[in-house]
Amino acid sequence: MKSSVLLRFFKDHKYSYAAGFMFMFAASFVQTLFPKLLGSAVDLMKESRFETRQVLVLVAWMALIAVGVFVCTFLWRNMIIANARNLECFYREELFRHMLKLSPSFYNTRKTGDLIAYAINDISAVRMTFGPATAMSFNGIVLCLSSIYFMFATVDVRLTLITLSPLPLIIVLMLFTGRKIQMRFRTVQEQFGLISDRVQENISGIRVIKAYVQEHSEMEKFSGLSSRMLQSNMDLIKVSAALPPLIEFGFAVCFVLNLVFGSRMVLRGNISIGDFVAFNGYLSLIASPIVSIGRVVTIFQRGMASLGRLHDILSIPPDIVDIPNPLRVQPSGNIELCHLTFQYEGAEVPALRDISLQLPKGHTLGIIGPTGSGKSTLAALLFRLYNVDSGQILLDNQDINEYALEILRESFAFVPQETFVFAASVKENIVFFKDVYNDDEVENAARLSLIADSIDGFPDGYDTILGERGVNLSGGQKQRMAIARALIRNPAVLILDDALSAVDAVTEGHILNSLRQTRKGKTNILISHRISAILEADEIIVLDKGLIRERGTHEQLLKKGGMYYDIYTTQQEDGLPAS
Amino acid sequence: MIFTLPSKKTDSQQVEKKAATGAVKELLRLSKPYTPQLLLACLCVFVVNAAFLIQPLLLQRVIDHFLIGRSVSHGLDSIGGLALLYLTVSAAGGASSYIQALIVGKAGQSLVHQLRVNVFSIIQRLPLPYLDRTSSGRLITRATNDTSEITEFYTDVLITLVKDIMLLIGIVYIMLSLSLSLTLVSFTVIPVIVFLVFYIKNRIKKNFFYMKHFIGRINGFIAESISGMKVIQIFRAEKEKEEQFLKLNGQYFATTLIQVRLNSVLKPASDMFQSLAIAILVWYSVGKISGGMLQIGVLYAFTTYIKQFFAPIADLADKYTSIQSALVSTERIFELIHEEDSLEDTDSGLPMERLNGTIEFRHVWFSYNDTDWVLKDVSFVIKKGQTAAFIGETGAGKTTIINLINGFYRVQKGEILIDGVNINDIRLDDLRRNVSVVLQDVFLFSGTIRDNITLGDDIAEEAVQYALQASCAESFVKDFPAGITEPVTERGSTFSAGQRQLISFARAIAHNPAIFVLDEATANIDTHTEKLIQQAVDNIANGRTTLIIAHRLSTIAGADLIIAMKEGRIAEKGHPRELFEQGGYYAKLLNESRSHAFSS
Repeated sequence: MKSSVLLRFFKDHKYSYAAGFMFMFAASFVQTLFPKLLGSAVDLMKESRFETRQVLVLVAWMALIAVGVFVCTFLWRNMIIANARNLECFYREELFRHMLKLSPSFYNTRKTGDLIAYAINDISAVRMTFGPATAMSFNGIVLCLSSIYFMFATVDVRLTLITLSPLPLIIVLMLFTGRKIQMRFRTVQEQFGLISDRVQENISGIRVIKAYVQEHSEMEKFSGLSSRMLQSNMDLIKVSAALPPLIEFGFAVCFVLNLVFGSRMVLRGNISIGDFVAFNGYLSLIASPIVSIGRVVTIFQRGMASLGRLHDILSIPPDIVDIPNPLRVQPSGNIELCHLTFQYEGAEVPALRDISLQLPKGHTLGIIGPTGSGKSTLAALLFRLYNVDSGQILLDNQDINEYALEILRESFAFVPQETFVFAASVKENIVFFKDVYNDDEVENAARLSLIADSIDGFPDGYDTILGERGVNLSGGQKQRMAIARALIRNPAVLILDDALSAVDAVTEGHILNSLRQTRKGKTNILISHRISAILEADEIIVLDKGLIRERGTHEQLLKKGGMYYDIYTTQQEDGLPAS
Repeated sequence: MIFTLPSKKTDSQQVEKKAATGAVKELLRLSKPYTPQLLLACLCVFVVNAAFLIQPLLLQRVIDHFLIGRSVSHGLDSIGGLALLYLTVSAAGGASSYIQALIVGKAGQSLVHQLRVNVFSIIQRLPLPYLDRTSSGRLITRATNDTSEITEFYTDVLITLVKDIMLLIGIVYIMLSLSLSLTLVSFTVIPVIVFLVFYIKNRIKKNFFYMKHFIGRINGFIAESISGMKVIQIFRAEKEKEEQFLKLNGQYFATTLIQVRLNSVLKPASDMFQSLAIAILVWYSVGKISGGMLQIGVLYAFTTYIKQFFAPIADLADKYTSIQSALVSTERIFELIHEEDSLEDTDSGLPMERLNGTIEFRHVWFSYNDTDWVLKDVSFVIKKGQTAAFIGETGAGKTTIINLINGFYRVQKGEILIDGVNINDIRLDDLRRNVSVVLQDVFLFSGTIRDNITLGDDIAEEAVQYALQASCAESFVKDFPAGITEPVTERGSTFSAGQRQLISFARAIAHNPAIFVLDEATANIDTHTEKLIQQAVDNIANGRTTLIIAHRLSTIAGADLIIAMKEGRIAEKGHPRELFEQGGYYAKLLNESRSHAFSS
């Protein structure tokens, strides 16, 4: 099962792979005929009177082989290497599809950079393994085997053995030095990474550096890093510059052995001059695959490691999936929580403990409580961002797990604390890449969330591109944009999770007013730090450390004189001028 | 083509052209101190090439002289002697090649180290208006990739260029001296190879640009999708995102196929032409050899030289690209180095070691871009030790005032006086040491909490401890396993917003400024932390001139002076009580928030 994606791909492309390897074999094998032909030509021509026609036949063969090798190589590259590119894209698609299915509990524990590395670096390493490296090994093996075969069969066994005797030494040396180069290269890359990080941090924090006059010490630190980089670069060069001359010298020894022993054999008449020339030709043919052994090994190692990493991530099962035959009825918005308890993976204490409440259709629930009290967790559980550990959430008297995920999530709209704006147009960000809303609906949603005026002020109105390369929104604008995104869907249940924290008190009041009108008869959940945002709710719960401490209407809670009352008075005091 | 790209191509070509002229000079000027090393390297290259070219000649002599001619050996002029010579030549070539790599490596790396440090020091001193205009990614590229690009130019490109050209000249020279007619015959194929290599490499380069473009977009797309995954899933946009991705990935795949096709022509085709050239040579030589006008060894040497011709040509085509990009990088770096004149000079100006902290704005007009006035005729006085609260909507100009007090920007009209001295005349170093700014979005450096408080300055342990106490950061810092030496990861992501702000308070207090400027954090701070922050602000403000961009009514109410900004002008200013009684903006704000709380 380890490489099911790979197997599937190979199966789908078995014919092009088969044909590709056939052409590859043909190309490599035919290539090895060339030195032999050249040798035969030399043998023919060394006689003082030779048959010109015979040589011309050989020349014709040479030309034919040249063209044949080209055609075969062109074909196999367009099969094997193109397949590797195809595999790269195929893998990336599989990965992206998989990522779309993984739940937040997966993303909470991973860095975005690492995940991108899978899709770019690891997949590219796999491509290199099944493309160029596979081709080079296959090619090299065929080329070496048939060259050595011709050396043995048509020239001389003893000469071959003597001439090739330095080869094992060359290979060992190469692999050994190669490993050393790799290690030092890694150090250089690490240094480069450190330098990059340093510059990046420095530029991001330049205001602090300037404000605290730290330019000089920053420069000293950087200079130290840079000279360490200089040093590790030199360490690398010392080894890496030695490898090519050493290998070349190794092959020079081979040539010299052939020169000494080969020519002695020619003089003794054991082999012909043509054989001697052909032998030299085979030596140079062998050289290039041998030189690339080190590289191929590295590519294979990396590829296998990447394949393992990709397999690991692809085999993480999405933990939030539909049950067989899920419910596909649109819920109307009656919510009931029964003894709900939830603990995040790796957390020491539960985020929510024994929460029970009823929220009938058309009612508004307010949730207040300090940071970390479980407010956002409660919201996230309603539309199954996480699976419930114990207890139950009912929607129209059905467990939410019974619903098709699509139906369930479509009946909710959620506006989170920190809004994510995509690098797309304002309109795309509101309709959220769906084609089902017309312009009037978009504008209406923008108006209701009080973002319409800002949008009209943008250079291209609703077509203005947002994000890094476009207009940057302020925190308040982002939040209002997110509210528009939620309102346009007209969901059965609307949840605002501290979604007005960055808008000022006046705007907050307006938005709450417009929500009151448009959301009449539908279920709403308002989560906030500020009492002003929730005080009109039909029921308010005060969460603390995952428990419901108090519940009731604003007036009831005030009378109670508990936690809610304390929050209320603190926020009230803030409003009075000091005397 | 299946895709269109912005006119970037023509742009970059123009840039390349422009870069070529000035940048070459700059590159050569940089390398001037290393002239002796470079000359020595050239000498080494000469030896390497000579060794490389002599080898086929030795083989030719063995074939023609001893194997076919059956000459008698005299001393070194024997097969054994030639073999020894072959080995010696190879060894000399190898040694020279190693020495050359070391010399060039050392020179190139030292040169680039200097350049890198130089670039970094310039980035340190760039004025903020420049930094605002320039994306940080671009500056990072200057100090990292662009300098690497130049290293490559010195260590790899420059010397290989010399080597390849020497080699090509050498091959042609030897070919001509061996046989004019064979040389001419060989040259029926070589131009085809040269053309092929340059033409296809050029197309590969162009296509590679598209590939990079698409892989960059794929990268960005995945990054965005991962960051926004929750929203995508909540709003069920998986299908739409998948379709967008498939489209992008498909476009990328199409460009890679072009790359595969081009690459499957390049090397195989030049191999084919080499083999064809050998066939043609043999065909041409048949007559000559049978007439005794040509020796077989010479023919053999020619077949070797034709093969040797390919590598330097392919190299040159590659180097052409590297040179172009090295020139572009040089141009960019020197653009930055030429900013030298506009760099901040924090050292000159009137030395004022300790400020009192009286701040006066006199009819200040300011604009970031010289067209839109952000501050319009702003005047106020904050006396030593007073706390001033700035209120008003986003974009009213509050943050700009902070930026000006720091000396980050210069005003266009009017003047800012600190202790009665025009801010532009004060030594920047002293000014900034006396002003501590805490922004809403606190920046923490990687290192420890302690590093983030001292910022590498020599601050006594007691002062650090005091700063921790006064900033109320102690309450959470002591809970960490490592206490004050607890590591801070990139951007301090393991701390909450409130904790980050408290650490930055400690940083400010430890540096004991005369003027303290605070942009109050708004969102996501719970009531407990909020109280700590309030306490810390009171501690810091005590005895210092304090400017606060206030969001909390409690902060505003406690100020000595309220300045309400509206569209770049001061709408009202005065003591909170006065303003409340006046019934203006401040009073309205106050009533608004109270009516919220009381209505039901």
